[in-house]
Amino acid sequence: MFLKIENLSIDLGEFKLEDASLSVEQGEYAVLIGPTGSGKSILLETIAGFYRPEHGSIKLKDKELTVLPPEKRNVSVVYQDYMLFPHMNVYDNIAYGIRKKRRSETDIEQSIEKVSNVLKIKHLLHRHPDTLSGGEQQRVAIARALVVEPELLLMDEPFSALDIKTREELRTLVKDAMNEYRTTVIHVTHDFEDVFALATQVAVLHEGKIIQVGTPEEVFSRPVSEFVADFVGTNALRCTIEKKEDSGCMLNCNGVKLWCADSGTEGDSVTVAIRPESIIISREMVHTSARNVLQGTVQSVVTRGHLTWVTVKVQNITLRVVITPNSAELLNIHEGVEVYLIFKASGVRMVR
Amino acid sequence: MQLKFRHFCIILSLIFTFSLIVAIASLFIVPSPSEIIDSMRSAEMIYSLKLTLITSSISTVIVIFTAIPMSYALSRYSFWGKSIVKSIIDLPMAFPELVLGLALLLLFGKTAIGSALSYVGINIVFTKLGIVVAQVFTALPFATRIAYTTFESINPRYELVSRTLGYGEFETFKNVTLPLAKDGILASTIITFARCVGAFGAVLILAGGSYMNTEVLPVTLYLNISYGNIGMAITSGIVLIIVSFIAIYAFEKLEGAKNVSKNRKPEHRFRRVQT
Ligand SMILES: Nc1ncnc2c1ncn2[C@@H]1O[C@H](COP(=O)(O)OP(=O)(O)OP(=O)(O)O)[C@@H](O)[C@H]1O
Ligand SMILES: [Mg+2]
Repeated sequence: MFLKIENLSIDLGEFKLEDASLSVEQGEYAVLIGPTGSGKSILLETIAGFYRPEHGSIKLKDKELTVLPPEKRNVSVVYQDYMLFPHMNVYDNIAYGIRKKRRSETDIEQSIEKVSNVLKIKHLLHRHPDTLSGGEQQRVAIARALVVEPELLLMDEPFSALDIKTREELRTLVKDAMNEYRTTVIHVTHDFEDVFALATQVAVLHEGKIIQVGTPEEVFSRPVSEFVADFVGTNALRCTIEKKEDSGCMLNCNGVKLWCADSGTEGDSVTVAIRPESIIISREMVHTSARNVLQGTVQSVVTRGHLTWVTVKVQNITLRVVITPNSAELLNIHEGVEVYLIFKASGVRMVR
Repeated sequence: MQLKFRHFCIILSLIFTFSLIVAIASLFIVPSPSEIIDSMRSAEMIYSLKLTLITSSISTVIVIFTAIPMSYALSRYSFWGKSIVKSIIDLPMAFPELVLGLALLLLFGKTAIGSALSYVGINIVFTKLGIVVAQVFTALPFATRIAYTTFESINPRYELVSRTLGYGEFETFKNVTLPLAKDGILASTIITFARCVGAFGAVLILAGGSYMNTEVLPVTLYLNISYGNIGMAITSGIVLIIVSFIAIYAFEKLEGAKNVSKNRKPEHRFRRVQT
């Protein structure tokens, strides 16, 4: 195992991280999600060496990290608010880490040339951080972290301060950069799009405990607890594109055929997300303009607050639907009844 | 027109400021220029000015090199006795300088520490060294307070980034923290120098304020007032005022510059447990 965190506990008085365990293979892109205050940043900063754990171990390539100071760990950090050194220009910010390794200036120039090509910041090198846009600053911060070729890259909500379009550009750039540098990543986020676009592994943190680890598909379609189900909300399915049409495509999701309004290439594997509130439940077959009508069996009905969560098994897949307790009662929905699930092709969103 | 509460507040602040300006101006108006020039040229004034500048410069260096590590420790680490150290920086607000001087006099004059120091040839009581010691103790809390506020305003995550990029604790302090704290430390230096130049109570008691020996500018002012030598007293007052005006001006400039670049204020405050 490349990175192995075992029974990590940190006591900060008001907050405790308890027995966190997480394993990440080399080259994996692990995304850490969880509600605010669940300890994501603390876990990340403990891996970086900011906090000393009470007990437990962090091993990177079988080397014990917990006894090492941050500068000996070969772990880089990227923060939401960039943390570019304001008294240095972009070039010096990026060069900062490699200069420490005392390489020749031409060597340094080459490394910076490479990383600035990958992150498309060549035209910014002479600028000062405070003259850059948020997206540009974050590209520089990622370059600064990557240029030292860290064994592990930690990112704490790196895209949170950016607008949606910039986020998407950055996701693509980050993906390219990770392929180029073959870096193992732990990325903290509140944005599930990051999970679908980047993650090969997801960990859910709640009140200082890691409560589920798995592939995005596992976590989103088979949450281990009500909390995770609630938190992730959305249905995620792994599908292949079976047929392409003008207005979208037909997907095969584990044997179930779904229509999707997004376009794609035939034969590709994709993940699609279906919001539980965009699915309509009916006891009878109805003819509507929605293209997806699936027949299934109710597996569970859970009412919490103003919402009722209904899990429906359709052949080999499970979908979660949210309705009001009132509708659940009117339709007499309980475990074992046959229902129809109706949703539009545009409600099936391709996320990768 | 009805006198409203806000008019009352505004008028009161104007009256006070006006009186202060007139009081300061009278320093420059009352004596004749020739009297001031003569006083400036007197051996006593030249001695006093020289001694003030030398002791204050030495004290400022000592204070800044002590205040920076002290305030950094307060801002970044948790350690045993921290709350006591922290209360030190609030002390000068309420602690009378004369009492500070008396306490130092007793420490260096009447205790084993004082005897041990004079045994190895270090005499502090009623000496020029005493001036420096008194100035240092008077100015250190102020300097530490300003430097502390500066370090608090720098997000420790800058430091963690530098550490993860391979730099040790001291290198990080030198390469990242210190440049970011530059303005605050400069401001702290200026205030320190002004405090040292103007330090009176503790200096008088510990160093003794003796004529042309341990005589710094505030002491010159005091001695000449008591001899009824108004010209000399006013001249030392003018020199002191000029020094503090330069300091206030420079400080305001730096503070202004710092507030403009305040967009780097940290969102999260957290303290480092490990180093
Ligand atoms: N140095 C500290 N000492 C004590 N408690 C702390 C410290 N730093 C953070 N905390 C607390 O620990 C809890 C977890 O903080 P953390 O920053 O890890 O949350 P998070 O999961 O990153 O949240 P967010 O999604 O809002 O960033 C919070 O309640 C926070 O107030
Ligand atoms: Mg956080």
